[in-house]
Amino acid sequence: MIVAENLTKRYGSTTAVDDVSFTVRPGQVTGFLGPNGAGKSTTMRMIVGLDAPSAGRVSVGGHRYTQSRSPLTEVGVLLDAKAVHTGRSARGHLRAMAATHGIANTRVDEVIALTGLEAVAGKRAGKFSLGMGQRLGIAAALLGDPQTLILDEPVNGLDPEGVRWVRQLVRHLAGEGRTVLLSSHLMSEMSQTADHVIVLGRGRVIADAPLPELVRAWTRNEVLVRTPRASDLAAALGSPDVTVTDAGDGGLLVAGVSARAIGDLAAERGIPLHELTPRTGSLEEAYMALTEGAVQYKTKEIA
Amino acid sequence: MSTATAPTASTASPTHAPRSPYHLTFPRVVRSEWLKLLSLRSTWWSLAITVALSVGISLLMASALRGFDAGFAPVMVIVMPMQFTMLVAGILGAIAITGEYSTGMIRSTLTAEPRRGAVLVAKALVVAVVLAVTTAITYAIAALATAPILKTAIDWSDPKTSWFPLLAGVFAMAMFALIGLGFGFIVRNGAGAIAATVGVLFVLPIVLSMFSFAGEGWKWIVDASAYLPVSGAQSATTAGGEDVLRGVATLAAWPAALLLGAWASLRGRDA
Repeated sequence: MIVAENLTKRYGSTTAVDDVSFTVRPGQVTGFLGPNGAGKSTTMRMIVGLDAPSAGRVSVGGHRYTQSRSPLTEVGVLLDAKAVHTGRSARGHLRAMAATHGIANTRVDEVIALTGLEAVAGKRAGKFSLGMGQRLGIAAALLGDPQTLILDEPVNGLDPEGVRWVRQLVRHLAGEGRTVLLSSHLMSEMSQTADHVIVLGRGRVIADAPLPELVRAWTRNEVLVRTPRASDLAAALGSPDVTVTDAGDGGLLVAGVSARAIGDLAAERGIPLHELTPRTGSLEEAYMALTEGAVQYKTKEIA
Repeated sequence: MSTATAPTASTASPTHAPRSPYHLTFPRVVRSEWLKLLSLRSTWWSLAITVALSVGISLLMASALRGFDAGFAPVMVIVMPMQFTMLVAGILGAIAITGEYSTGMIRSTLTAEPRRGAVLVAKALVVAVVLAVTTAITYAIAALATAPILKTAIDWSDPKTSWFPLLAGVFAMAMFALIGLGFGFIVRNGAGAIAATVGVLFVLPIVLSMFSFAGEGWKWIVDASAYLPVSGAQSATTAGGEDVLRGVATLAAWPAALLLGAWASLRGRDA
């Protein structure tokens, strides 16, 4: 369990993390979302004591991370894949990390096998690709078989097989009752992995809810209908809680009424339907709606 | 959501005594630092250069001194190459930590052992021991290699002209490495730390010695140069010298002050 209370981090006049409070519970995967510069990585660094909070506090498993006498077995952390000396081999890096806790070399070989690094374990980490570096970072996080996992963008640079492996791994670990905090910018991946979502925007928590609830609250369920008699159908659907928008090419986007009701109504009026597609909202849509005002580095709309 | 009240939530115990046999101890952190230093090629290169440079210069000096009486104890032939190898020691100490900052390794180090003071002490211990052992090996090789060449042999029965200068030399090399390490922790940047180390060990003595040409009013600067690390090393390693203890104290004071600054920097700043 990770508990952040009024966590704040200021760098001079800028506030990177602004009075953030949240709880990451065991037994589920918690997704940590937010635009670039929202404060996710800074928050994660404060959780493991690398950065000192300007105000507030954060605990892991009931105490401050820096007070732990066994941090690697309590918390496994991947902050960025580049937290490895480029001149050291993957095996050398893991052995040095393991040595601090008296973890046996057999466990080092285990995590090397688990992350699929056997073939390159003797190679210097500086020669690794982004994906290999990411696997090494995950191997280091798993070294102490920790109760809590904090992974900042673990799938960044991984191949599709690796992405799927990370998803299955964190689902499995959460299933064992461990605490998992995971950040990613890949919304489709996150929607398949996370049970709960915390969204940061400009250093503040802008949402903290179970994933299905969040998607329901921030998206609209719509139905795409295609019919040669669009105006007739639109008129038939006319009601205060139903919105009908023209999707072009004889298509209508209908919100506020189910696909089944539209189909029944059309049959009743003898209006032929060529397509009837329910569209449920995605995490991506919910995220975009949520963070619209909180994006710091906005791109220009492509005309 | 139902999982929020799952029983697993209550297993977070208020005490955090390690349940598994895997936990931090200071000797383990030292072992980790030992593995880290010796698993880098740059370390082995630096140490090889130190040995080769030192033994080579000793042999050259021993050969050059065959023909005439140099006026100093023969043991100095073994100790004097330190004037050059001290730079390698200082640079090795500096990159032992700046390499961690430039690669991001420091974040792995400090998440594995969050007590930053322990990391600092363990690193200092390992760097000092590695340099001391290397220097001892170097001196053994140099003593054996120069023995057939030297006009007057080293008198091993008189510690003041044999063991003491060598021990002081071993100590000095460890201190030079710690000076580099201290600057490395404070500056965090490889080039900057090396510049500071070379500046104190090599450039400052030359600059201060220039004031010996100046008037009486500048004499204090020349006097102050006696407290530079290199001057301390010279005093400490001089066979039968009078200022051996002052030299040793000077040599120890520099790394002590720098490592104190390093500790303040490591403790107070975000990693």
